[in-house]
Formats: sequence, C-alpha cells, structure tokens
Amino acid sequence: MAHMGVEPDRIQLSWVSSAESNKFVEVVKDVTASIKALGPNRNFVKTVAKVA
Amino acid sequence: MTFVKIDKNAWEAGLARLAAAYRLFGPVKEGHSHEFKALDAGQRPDMAYVNTRRSPKALIYPQSEKMFDFSLDETQADHHILREAEKDYAPCAVIGIRPCDADAFLLVRKNFDTPEYRDPYWVKAYEATTFVGLACSAPCSTCFCTTAGSGPFHEAGLDLLLADEGGTYLAKVLTPKGASLVEAAGWGDATDAQAAESRLQELRAAAEERIVSRVPTAKLKDQKINPLFEAPFWQEVAFSCINCGTCTYVCPTCWCFDIQDEVHGKEGIRYRNWDSCMYPLFTHHGSGHNPRNQKTQRVRQRFMHKLKYYVDKYGDGIQCVGCGRCIRLCPVNIDIRRVCNLMNHFDATACAIPAA
Amino acid sequence: MTGYTEKIREIAARLLTEKTVEMVIGFRKGTVPMMNEPYFVKNPLEAANLVWDSNCGINLTNYLTDRKEKIAVLAKGCDSRNIVTHIIENKVKREQLHIIGVPCQGMIDRHGISDRVDGEILKVVESDGRVVVSGRGFEQTFDKADVLQANCRLCIHRNPVIYDELVAEPVPEQQDVDRYVEERRIEAMDVQERWAYFDELLATCIRCYACRNACPLCYCPTCFVDESRPQWVGKSIDPIDTRTFHFLRAYHCAGRCTDCGACERACPMGINMRVFTRKLEKDCFELYGWEAGMSLDQRPPLDTYKLDDPEIFIK
Repeated sequence: MAHMGVEPDRIQLSWVSSAESNKFVEVVKDVTASIKALGPNRNFVKTVAKVA
Repeated sequence: MTFVKIDKNAWEAGLARLAAAYRLFGPVKEGHSHEFKALDAGQRPDMAYVNTRRSPKALIYPQSEKMFDFSLDETQADHHILREAEKDYAPCAVIGIRPCDADAFLLVRKNFDTPEYRDPYWVKAYEATTFVGLACSAPCSTCFCTTAGSGPFHEAGLDLLLADEGGTYLAKVLTPKGASLVEAAGWGDATDAQAAESRLQELRAAAEERIVSRVPTAKLKDQKINPLFEAPFWQEVAFSCINCGTCTYVCPTCWCFDIQDEVHGKEGIRYRNWDSCMYPLFTHHGSGHNPRNQKTQRVRQRFMHKLKYYVDKYGDGIQCVGCGRCIRLCPVNIDIRRVCNLMNHFDATACAIPAA
Repeated sequence: MTGYTEKIREIAARLLTEKTVEMVIGFRKGTVPMMNEPYFVKNPLEAANLVWDSNCGINLTNYLTDRKEKIAVLAKGCDSRNIVTHIIENKVKREQLHIIGVPCQGMIDRHGISDRVDGEILKVVESDGRVVVSGRGFEQTFDKADVLQANCRLCIHRNPVIYDELVAEPVPEQQDVDRYVEERRIEAMDVQERWAYFDELLATCIRCYACRNACPLCYCPTCFVDESRPQWVGKSIDPIDTRTFHFLRAYHCAGRCTDCGACERACPMGINMRVFTRKLEKDCFELYGWEAGMSLDQRPPLDTYKLDDPEIFIK
C-alpha cells in the first residue's frame, strides 16, 4: 500500500492477544494519534463512482 | 450532393469557428496510439492517424454512464425516488472518424432506437452529434471493411466525408447536418459536383484495391442455426480464449451493458457499465443457473451473434464493420476472419471438419 | 530457439501416437505479426501445426486449470514454476502432466516493438539474435536483447524447474541481474509522486480483465471484482476502483507470481501492471527468501511460518 502512495503510517499492523488489554489500549491510542497527525486521507478516497 | 474543397490553410480557422458552435472531438495521440478525445481550445485532431485503439463508441455511449441519481436522506422530499441524471446534449462534432466506425453506429442504432425500445441516452447523444469522416487512403492489413458491409470511403453514418488530397480535403456533404457544419466552419469553397464525385470514386477504388483481408459471408444467411450451433469447430476456436472483455470493449458494434446502483452515505447513483458476453457472469440468472457457464458456449455465442443471429434478424449483413481491432488486440489472437470463414463454409452434411 | 519447433512437433506426435497423453497444449502460428495462438492437439497428424518462437509469451499453465485429461504441455522456465504452484494448489495433478520443458531465451515485447516503429508492422522475422521488423515501405532491425519483454530481461529462471523431457539443452541463466531496480526507484519517491505514478499507470485501464484472465494464478470461479453480494470493488472505470482491482489482484498473487509477463503481454492498452506484483515478489524474497514455484516440496509463504520470520513491520 505504501508502495502505491498511501502514507506509511495510515496502515499499521500489530499482534494483540485478547489477554493483552493494556497493549490494545496503547496500540489504539498510538495509531489514532498518528492518523490524526497525518490528517484526513485525501488520496485513496472513493465517494460516488466517477462516471460520465 | 454538394462538394466543397477545404484548403488545409483554411482548415485550422474552420475548426476554430466550429469550436464556437460545437463541442469538438477528434483523434488525439495518447502514448504511442490514438484515442478519440474532447478537443481543448486550440487542440487539433491528428488527421494523420490510422485508427484509434479503442473505437469511438464511447463518445456516444460512455463505458460508465450515470443514468439516475437518488437520495436516501428521508428528510428530503424526493428521497428514494430516482431522478434523471443531468445530461448535456449540446451539439457535438466528431472530426476525422473513419467510415467503418461511423457505419458501426448505424448497426447499433438498429437495436438502440426501435419503435418498441429507445435508449434515450444513446439516441440523444447520437442525434446531437455531427460526424465528419476521414476516408482511408491506406487501409491496414487487418481491415476487412469491404466484405463486412463497409469500406474505406463508405458514406453511411457520416454527415460529411473528407478525402485527403494533399493540400486540400475534398469534402462531400452528405446530410443537412453536414451542410450546417460546413456553413458554421466557413468552408464555402464549392466545387463542381460531377468532377468531384468521379475523383472521389477514383480515390475510393485505389483505397479498396489495398484491402487485403476479406471475409466470406454469402452463405451465412442460408446456414441452418442448429447445425451451425452444434458444429465441431467451436471447441477448437474457443480453446485459446481467456474470456476477457477486450474484443467486446474495443468493438464499435458491441453494445451490451449492465446496470447497477452505487451508494455513498445518503447519496447514490444508478449507472451502467459496458458488459461483455465473454464474462462468466454475463448470463448468470437470479436463480443461480448459468446457461453459458462454459467458455466454449460463450465464445460460440459471440460469433453466432455477430455473424449469424444479427444477419438473420436484420437482413442487413453481419454485425461487424471490419475495423480489425479485435484481431489486433485479442491477447491470444483469436481471429474473426478465420471464424467467419469456418462458419460460412460449414457443411453439416460433410464428414470432414473444414480445414483451419 | 531455432530448431525448437521441429523438436516440439516430433515430441507431440510421438506422445499422441503412443497414447502417453490425450492432448498436447502448445501454440500455433498467429494471424498477425508477433502473435501465436494457444492451441491443443489431439490427433498426431495435427502436431505439425505446433510452432515455437519468441512470441510464445502467453503462459500455457493457464489452460491446465481443473482439466482432467492426461496432458502434455509446453513450459518455459516461468511457466514450469506456475505448474509447480498449480500442483501445490490442487488445480492439476502431477500424474496428469507430461511437461515438455522449453529452455527459454526470452520473448520479444510486442507492445514495445510497435511503439518503436512508425507504421503498420506486417512482418517480424527473427534470426541470429536479431529481430527484423518490416511494413509497407520500411524495415528496422533490432538486437533481440533490446526488444525483450521486460520480465524476460530480468529473468533468472529460464530453464524449466520441473519437466518430463526437454526440447533442447538447458540454456545458461542470466547472471548479475538486479531484479528490483524499478521497485527501488519507486520506493525512493515521496508519497505524492508515488500516488501520481500509479494514477498515470492505470489511466488507460478499461477493466477488460485480460491481465487477470491470462494469469494462471487467477482461477477463482468468481473473482472478487465480480462479486456483488457484497460488492467489494466498483465495476466502473472510476480511478479508485480500477486501482483497487489491480493492487488487490496483486495481493492475491503474492508469493505465487513467477513474473511470467503474460499479464502485460495480454493487456490491450499496454499497461505495465507488473509494478504491483513485483513489489510483493521483492518483499517475499527479501523478507522470507521465497521464490514462487521452485519446488513441489515447499509450502507457500502465506501457508507457513518460521520462528525467525522478520517482524519489523509489526508494531
């Protein structure tokens, strides 16, 4: 996705077990913060199909 | 019929005047090939082109076209009601279309404009358009227009036919729309009709002489449908097909489409996309049954439609104008000329399969 | 690859006469320059129609999917790796196949050659490493190395990895090939440049699916783009939907694509969509040391894990 021009931080991967509630909270907070820092997604947006 | 001589020095000025009265479209270089595009102010059609990769059918019949829009917002008075999409059918002029492609519109019109059914989008777009054709002086090796009911100087479907004479275009005015266009462009250099007509016929003969591809179609009408349908050659014809949509999408006479809705939030549109009989889901019924779920059935269907069913239904020749695009662009080189030959010469009573 | 045609005809006729196989899948001569048509032969007398040259870029493994007969199939290096993948994925059984391996010296780029020549090409003749392209009133000669298909230029597996017999002696593999120059060039671009690069790449896509259908890996009875309940991707030529089709298809080929180039060869618009699959191939190779289809004994990368698999991308 990053290769194609989506900002690298917009998509993040993490392993979180259902027993790792603290880690889950941290990951959610971190990802939310980094996405907010990036601002709204402008490139990869589909609204209504662009047709004639 | 009136004829006009257009000096190439007057050509540009004429186009500029036309741009005031019509939205202009013409062949434009795109990478290493050409496509028909809307001409920007000052942009000229490339009259030295051979033919476009895709057919110009998209000018009248876009690949993806909005038909209706609607709102799902229940606070709106017209929620859940289909509203006709706003369309612009201002006069258009297509400059430099080849006779085969112009003829193709007439073949499609047979189906899209009947007393029973009228495709309002197609018909309105078509009627708003004036077609200025460019006769072919150098047909390609894959052009078989003359045996497909068309030709390099064919006039059907055109409002004005231009023949390139070097420093001038010899222009034959074919319809009142063509006459209006000539007037709007200010190309008023009338010339003797009789002399011009003979000159045109001369050029036509020279161009037709250069056509090397021919398809035999004389026996198609008399072939009985069922034996042709069950002919043993279909398996061999269909084997290489990968069931993509290339042939159908580049073909000027293929007309199938699929309608669907797309919603985003509380707004939506109902639009249509070109569809292809080559796709497995083309005949997928709501029940789940698919009468053409095998590749061979679909390939057979396409050639039967183009070269037999259309012939029988309209009595006006095959549903093909010989532009050669499918031949040049098919990823696996399935050749309609070969298939037409097999179908035309098929003899249900003979023991041997016709030679490939 | 001169002399291959005669050998192929001989092998095919023999296999059919001895009833070792029920059909032979190969190519017959095309009706336009630089094209050959995938073709099957059941009658030994028709083996004489088989040909082989540098226009056999379509991957014949595509025609093996779900077939039940005993089949002999011509396979270049890349094709043979797709056969391995097909067997691992249960689309065909090893016992059904008699693989006629073809050590390949590269296919020529039909789109590339048409682009470099002005005028309609009427004839293309290849001999001694030179490709002579001619039309009405012109003739141009190219070095075959200059007009190779893009994937062939970078090929490091020209010889079949699996076969029952070979058409010729193995050819030397290309050495010192840097396969990922273009990928690194894109990786060096900033986000907006990359977005624009891919936008431009796909601008002429007409959603014909020739690339998908020419690909032996794409054998799903209903492709994700054709689903409508739910509809994952729009079917129009909307640029976002078109891009989604391409990158999602590449994802489905991740770790399976052998870079055979059939997709680019098939595309009627000349789009270089291998840019998508090659990035994933690069990642598989650099992260997991994986090359698709090299051995029947290896499980695919999305199927297995090793304890020391890199995890740098996981937070």
